Amino acid sequence: MDALLKLDTHLENRHAQLKALKDHGRKIIGFTAGGYFPEELALACDAEAICFIEAGNNTALMNAGGYTCRWFDPFWRSQIAYLTSGKDPYYNIADLIVVPVTDNHVRNFSNVLGYFTPEKESFVFGVPHVKDKIALDYYLKGITRLRNRLEEFTGKEITDARLKQSIDLCNRERELFRQISLLRKSGEYFIQGRDFIKLNHGSYLADKEFMIDILEMYLREIKETACHPKGGPSLLLTGSTLAHGDSKVMDIIEECGGNTVVEEFAECIRPYHETVDTEGNLMKNLAESYFMKRVCPGWFRPGTERLNLLIKLAKEYNVDGLIWYQLMFRESYKVESFFFPQMLKKEAGIPMFVVESEYDAMEAGPMRTRIETFIETIKR
Amino acid sequence: MKGYYDDLFRLCGFEDEEINSERSRIKATLEKLELGPEDMERADAWVREYHDISLAGVRKLLGAWLKELIDLVLAKEEGKKIVYFGFPAILGPGLMLSASSKDVFVSAPDMVLDHTMGQIFNKLTPILEAGEANGLPPGHAMCSLWQAKVGGVAKGIIPVPDFALASSYYCDMGSKADDLVTALYGTPIAYIDGIMDSKWGEFPGFLPDRVEYLGAQINQALKMGEEALGIKIAPDAWEISRESSRPFRDNLVRLVDLMKADPVPVSIVELELLEALSGSSTGRGIREGVKAMDILVKELDKRVRAGVGVTEKGAPRVMVRLGHTSDPRVTRVIEDAGLAVPLTFILGSFGGVRVEPKGAYNTPGEIIANYEMTGGYYHGTDAQIQFYEKATQIMNLDGFIAQYLYNCRPVATISHAQRRYLEEKTGLPVLSLEIDNFDSRTHSADSLRTKVETFAEMLRARKRSASQIDFI
Ligand code: SF4
Repeated sequence: MDALLKLDTHLENRHAQLKALKDHGRKIIGFTAGGYFPEELALACDAEAICFIEAGNNTALMNAGGYTCRWFDPFWRSQIAYLTSGKDPYYNIADLIVVPVTDNHVRNFSNVLGYFTPEKESFVFGVPHVKDKIALDYYLKGITRLRNRLEEFTGKEITDARLKQSIDLCNRERELFRQISLLRKSGEYFIQGRDFIKLNHGSYLADKEFMIDILEMYLREIKETACHPKGGPSLLLTGSTLAHGDSKVMDIIEECGGNTVVEEFAECIRPYHETVDTEGNLMKNLAESYFMKRVCPGWFRPGTERLNLLIKLAKEYNVDGLIWYQLMFRESYKVESFFFPQMLKKEAGIPMFVVESEYDAMEAGPMRTRIETFIETIKR
Repeated sequence: MKGYYDDLFRLCGFEDEEINSERSRIKATLEKLELGPEDMERADAWVREYHDISLAGVRKLLGAWLKELIDLVLAKEEGKKIVYFGFPAILGPGLMLSASSKDVFVSAPDMVLDHTMGQIFNKLTPILEAGEANGLPPGHAMCSLWQAKVGGVAKGIIPVPDFALASSYYCDMGSKADDLVTALYGTPIAYIDGIMDSKWGEFPGFLPDRVEYLGAQINQALKMGEEALGIKIAPDAWEISRESSRPFRDNLVRLVDLMKADPVPVSIVELELLEALSGSSTGRGIREGVKAMDILVKELDKRVRAGVGVTEKGAPRVMVRLGHTSDPRVTRVIEDAGLAVPLTFILGSFGGVRVEPKGAYNTPGEIIANYEMTGGYYHGTDAQIQFYEKATQIMNLDGFIAQYLYNCRPVATISHAQRRYLEEKTGLPVLSLEIDNFDSRTHSADSLRTKVETFAEMLRARKRSASQIDFI
């Protein structure tokens, strides 16, 4: 796909491009994964927004050991390692690090950021764990404080006109992701799971307008190429986090003949199902979409909304099985993985299979054997 | 007629009349727990070995836990509506529900099981294993407090609750385990949500938004409680519950004062029984606990006046986070190594360090939230560490055993920062110690002993050399 090649080239040069922009006074806003940072706010004050999505390397976890104990999810320990290494190009280039605090894994990162790297400018705001009017208000207050901080930090006022423009841009991106994802539902087009993930990861680092061009180009290419659905069982892949650099599970699934036709992850995969309304109070609209309408991650209480979404996706995408990608010590997901299989079997009639990861190369062998066996058993 | 359990219950502070009047309930409880005569004998030896039974107050405290256990185990068949709350407890809502109806039993069953099936009967393991088999598997750093709760319900030794108050203000694991209980048994839950989004260094400051949010969540949970339990919260429930827990809090403050003595008059094993009770019971346990404390405070006062303590005078003094909830041997390791423990984090928040509440609020939820936010729990990790730092002067400390709970994420966040911070700010040595505070199967006394003994030796050497320098 030309679009993917073009994206690769852009990403290869992206850091240098950001550096040049920074040299000319543009602020770089880094934000942590989870989908609760409205990028629109950064774009509306003419800043560049990049998300920290790299992980998957076990060496990083060892380095994190100087700052945290090992009983946290490896993705967030990786973030601690990259943050404190002083060598990560994206952490280094960020002028301000924004942390929407969700669960205690993220809070741990936020504490390390505050204590061990006080020289880094940061802004922390909380995301409630329940959905109601009070929670929505709290989130809205958080992003309003963020807006003020960004205005102060960049010296640029976020006017309604600029905010609307940014929302339009981000809506376009979400809409394109949605269209691409939905093509997989029809069964007429074949989109490799790893390509969809690649687009997602790219979108967290790429220039926004460039990314939209890439997505449009990709969509055209998919429609033009006479792609036929590949044989092999269709799978729904889910978990807390699918980081850039953590391709093991995806690779193994494909090597074993499985097709990931839909995925659901809270971190490092963009929430693209909802767009933001551009009429009325735009800050409220952002809060509505980013917090209220978005299907919650696994650390939400209760997690029913997400579990129901998984059942819905399983039916709509007509999958043969669900693979639950569990990062070690992310307890919310681990607990749900105990009682969800029965629900899934009852509601969607398909089996679920749990694979766990600590980003260890040694896992690959056993993981392959287990996934292979699972795929064998569900082949129709 | 004398029962096979009489001696043990007497050892645990029960009066003969109490045993007689409660005989059928005791029997029914022990039957449910599958505890027979041999278990009583073993428990008798265990309690004598690991608790300071020369103190009547300690025996009464053990009895208070047993009374809470009996009420818990029999609650369903005695027609009560049962509410469980999560840990760490924001006790206000539970106290209010409890104060509003005699037919409602509100408790932290995991803590009750730990302090009875663990501290008294040394038979917690099968319950933990049942928790592991029912959704909280081993090897994943799952909370062992929750394993006890889920295991207790799964084994049928504690009842399925009618309503749950989830500690969503602190713990991801707890709320999710509440979801598990709902998935398995259909229990309705009120998630008391809060958001720990303080930036490092923000405490003792915090946004009023946080009080308002947590307060509104508590008010909402109370409403849900009314619906789920079919009760009306009495208009004076908040005052009643505050009054009922006031003597306990007051006594804790007096105790902290007594612990300033050298030698310290009582082991942290026994203080743990106290501080945990204040966060676990809303009923008979806490009322009996107050009586026990009255006795204990007097006994300790006598010890202090007589210069009697549980470690040698002049022993190095360390602050710890908390004592073990189910296995006294783990806590004892510290004192066995010759260290005096005058303060824990929990006690520190009662009597050691004061942060005044900010703002004035009208609803019960906000008043409770405002009070809770003055403690170090619900902020960034730095807020907790500040409590240790401030205790240095109050308790004349020589060092810290900075424990962190490996299977409790909100506490594990403290693992590395606390050591560096305390060393830098206080200049005192810090032993960072990974523990499981509720389950001693992997983090046993033996696994900790070498580290603690080495640290104790180092502290003694440091004290010796400091006194030589003073002399010169
Ligand atoms: S994980 Fe920690 S905070 Fe949560 S219930 Fe267990 S001990 Fe309490």
